[in-house]
Amino acid sequence: MLSSPKERPRFPQQLLPSAVPRRFPRTIPPGEKHLCLPESQSLRAAEALCVLHHPHAAFLSTLPQDIRNTVGNIPMEWYQDFPHIGYDLEGKKIYKPIRNKDELDKFLEKMENPDYWRTVQDKMTGADIKLTDEQVDLVHRLQKGQFGDVHFDPYEPAIDFFSHEVMIHPVTNRPADKRSFIPSLIEKEKVSKLVHAIKMGWIKPRKPKEDTPTYYDLWAHEDPNSILGRHKMHVPAPKMKLPGHEESYNPPPEYLPSEEEKLAWEQQEPAERKLNFVPRQYRCLRAVPAYSRFIHERFERCLDLYLCPRQRKMRVNVDPEDLIPKLPKPRDLQPFPTTQALVYRGHSSLVRCLSICPGGQWLVSGSDDCTVRFWEVSTARCMKTLPLAGVVKSISWNPNPTICLVAIAVEQSVLLVNPSLGDKLLYGATDQLLESYVAPEEERVQPVQWVAATTEEHGKGIRLVVQHSRPVKQVTWHGKGDYFASVLADNSNMQVLIHQTSKRWSQNPFRKSKGLVQCVLFHPIRPYFFVATQRYVRVYNLLKQELTKKLMTNCKWVSSMAIHPGGDNIICGSYDSKLAWFDLDLSTRPYQLLRHHKKALRSVAFHKHYPLFASGSDDGSVIVCHGMVYNDLLQNPLLVPVKVLKGHALTWDLGVLDVLFHPTQPWVFSSGADGTVRLFT
Amino acid sequence: MAQLPARFRTESQRYAVEDVPFSVPAASEVADLSNLINKLLAARDEEHKHVEFDFLVNGQFLRVPLVAHMEMENIPTEEVVEIEYVEKYMAPQPEECIFHDDWISSVQATEEWILTGSYDQTARIWSLEGKSVMTIAGHTEVVKDVAWVKQDSLSCLLLSASMDQTILLWEWNVERNKVKALHCCRGHAGSVDSIAVDCTRTRFCSGSWDKMLKIWSAVPTDEEDEMEEAANRPRKKQKTEQLGLTRTPLTTLSGHTEAISSVLWSDTEEICSASWDHTIKLWDAETGGLKSTLTGNKVFNSVSYSPLCRRLASGSTDRHIRLWDPRSRDGSLVLLSLTSHTGWVTSVKWSPTHEHQLISGSLDNIVKLWDTRSCKAPLYDLAAHEDKVLCVDWTEAGLLLSGGADNKLYCYKYPAIASDVGA
Repeated sequence: MLSSPKERPRFPQQLLPSAVPRRFPRTIPPGEKHLCLPESQSLRAAEALCVLHHPHAAFLSTLPQDIRNTVGNIPMEWYQDFPHIGYDLEGKKIYKPIRNKDELDKFLEKMENPDYWRTVQDKMTGADIKLTDEQVDLVHRLQKGQFGDVHFDPYEPAIDFFSHEVMIHPVTNRPADKRSFIPSLIEKEKVSKLVHAIKMGWIKPRKPKEDTPTYYDLWAHEDPNSILGRHKMHVPAPKMKLPGHEESYNPPPEYLPSEEEKLAWEQQEPAERKLNFVPRQYRCLRAVPAYSRFIHERFERCLDLYLCPRQRKMRVNVDPEDLIPKLPKPRDLQPFPTTQALVYRGHSSLVRCLSICPGGQWLVSGSDDCTVRFWEVSTARCMKTLPLAGVVKSISWNPNPTICLVAIAVEQSVLLVNPSLGDKLLYGATDQLLESYVAPEEERVQPVQWVAATTEEHGKGIRLVVQHSRPVKQVTWHGKGDYFASVLADNSNMQVLIHQTSKRWSQNPFRKSKGLVQCVLFHPIRPYFFVATQRYVRVYNLLKQELTKKLMTNCKWVSSMAIHPGGDNIICGSYDSKLAWFDLDLSTRPYQLLRHHKKALRSVAFHKHYPLFASGSDDGSVIVCHGMVYNDLLQNPLLVPVKVLKGHALTWDLGVLDVLFHPTQPWVFSSGADGTVRLFT
Repeated sequence: MAQLPARFRTESQRYAVEDVPFSVPAASEVADLSNLINKLLAARDEEHKHVEFDFLVNGQFLRVPLVAHMEMENIPTEEVVEIEYVEKYMAPQPEECIFHDDWISSVQATEEWILTGSYDQTARIWSLEGKSVMTIAGHTEVVKDVAWVKQDSLSCLLLSASMDQTILLWEWNVERNKVKALHCCRGHAGSVDSIAVDCTRTRFCSGSWDKMLKIWSAVPTDEEDEMEEAANRPRKKQKTEQLGLTRTPLTTLSGHTEAISSVLWSDTEEICSASWDHTIKLWDAETGGLKSTLTGNKVFNSVSYSPLCRRLASGSTDRHIRLWDPRSRDGSLVLLSLTSHTGWVTSVKWSPTHEHQLISGSLDNIVKLWDTRSCKAPLYDLAAHEDKVLCVDWTEAGLLLSGGADNKLYCYKYPAIASDVGA
């Protein structure tokens, strides 16, 4: 501190009286001095302080009776045992003030004198000095480590006269040295030495630095196509879901849960909750409290990030258009039915079943209003109505064009009806054929009873009644027109019966029940018999009497079945709105499963000549598909949906109940729950 | 407004105007042009009464503004366009509505009488006033077609074909109003759907569901043709159920693979038959040979021939009426398609007096009157029927007849324009 010129006392030296200076050989730092003073010597120090800090006052007022220290700056303990300290100008001893106070006096002094705490002893003189307020203040400031001078500003802006910048004006006005412009001889000598060394080849010029980089590409030779390429394996972290409306502090009212929803939310498992918080509404953003689950969520996010394995999915980059098989356009697959042409009205309840004569002139329909109606196809004229005892479940026209016979399943019996339509010779011959039956001598045990029609029934056209023990669900003819099969609504092994019309002989082909039989079908050419249960279609060889194949339909409940006239393809409609196409040569699983309908399929049908098949469904539509079967075994069938035909009104949730193709024209008939039969051409 | 140079022309001398080019507004429609002609005629002849005209540009009736029509037909607008005009065809006037007991399957009318076949197994004769004259019962099934053979003041010969596979030749004594079955034509093995009598009135042909076309003699005789009957049928029963003497066909023409829906004589020795096998076949009646086949792609329900324009019109299940030229050898192309019906066209009939007009009935309950010069839209729609129209006929006296499944036979008077007859 003392080294700085600023710390010096501000009075100039020449202002001191000439007599005095020798008494102050050195300035004493007041603070330090004071602090190290023992209490007995503090008087002198205080005096000195007093002098120091009030110089004018001290010099002007205290000089005549000065009892100051005259011994100089010597260790004061030298005078410890003397009653005086030093001598004055006359050589007399300057006596210390009398100090005879014992401990009691000191204590009393301490108790009584209010200025006791600011009284110090001057060591130099041994006198007690009472410190003034300024001095006490100074002591306090020094104790705090502050500057003694109140007015001193330690943080004055420093002006740096000597900086690295070259100023336009010199700091000093001194003229430049001579040596500054006379070349240095020493340097000349050094330079000549260097020049000589270079000439002699002792110093060589510095080698130029090579420009080759010191680093190299670690992955330069990596295979760019390798799967494990470093950059390829980078999987960026999955992004968090962005906040939505429900996260808002003031969400729209539809996002706010009601009381029941809140209750339901609370009762849910935390993992099952759709939202992991309850959206709440606040008056303003200011009112939103701290989010209590914040740490949880960050933690879970961190868990997600490091626990969930991130794997790159190898995505095959294929144009979805390429995956769709190239199908021909429907208009290239003409002809197929496109519009509704005729509506056959007359039934008062749902029309369950349809059949058509092999020539295509007559249509027969069976209905829940307990009638069978015969229609002229070309005009929708009802030619005949046959009232029956019950709901007509199934109907089938004999496919043999030389026989005019219709099998009708009503309740527990199958009626064989001669409709007396068409060629007179034909239906006459049919009657003769039925009448020519001669009963065998011995009665055979049969599962059913064959009863000839009564006269009254005969007048209505009924020729034979085959009485079953259970309600009959379905009846279907063999292609030759002699055999027919009936399906009973039963659980036992008596579900399927095969009847021979000419011999009036019935048999039960199955010993065991293999499930609920839905429908049966004869193969059009070969001696095969198809039995559809709920989930499987079994193919039996009638000659060898064995199971040939079991087709898995992949459906829950088969409703209907139809066979391609070629005999190698089968379609199955099911109540779970699927249509399965089987290629018998290909597999026992469906070649294709078509899901065009929206509701349960009720019926499927093949066209006899055209490559068409149709399906009718509860959704009220008939879907016509092109189903081309090739003779070439290598070529799979081509299935193209070509037309959705709508027209039937939905009644009791039922739409189309039966579909049927015209035998010669590309026309399709459909019967519906609305009591109509419709022809689409 | 843009103007078009036009020259007017007409066949009728009564309404002829000067053969000079006029400048007519491009946007003018039929009414504007008709007014223009009427003004021209009134300027020439003060006694002229207002007449509605119809206009033909390039043989097509004008139905839209002139400029739009020319754009459609690709006629250049810079040159003088020739517009032909004819007196506007008046709408057919409803005359009678004859009630039947059942569906009407067929109708044929002469100048005096109307013969209808019905689904109640009878044929009926009506006077033109709609009075029932005679009911001809004898068939055991639906009568599918009827035809007049001969008409005298005393007696008439007529034919009825039925679903019971027979055709009956009846003699109707007009004076005594008695009808007698002369011959029962047997031989078809299916419902006889169509019959047609040739122009000499001595033969007729029939088409049946059994795919056969048979030619019969229409001349009544006293002899009965021998018929091979099924031996096991009692002779007596056969006799009792038979009406008239049995007649067998002169010729049987087989070639169709499906039911024959319509037959007609297109010439003295030429038969035309339309079938469900999507073909129209032309047969030589003398040799019994097949002359040509016109192949369509839909079932034909009806066919009609006009000797005036020598064209066949066919009605099929795809809602179109198609015009064919039976004499064209190269590809037997469809000349024209008339499309406006929304259901099967069950019946078509050419006008016997007008070469451009025909009538058609359809399952959409509408009878349409067509002019082949306006193939986009029919001249008139006759929407009187409440159910399917099954048959139509057009007599030389200008009577339009249509019968259908609503048991009604509607008669319309169609005023034939004198100037157009034979045009």
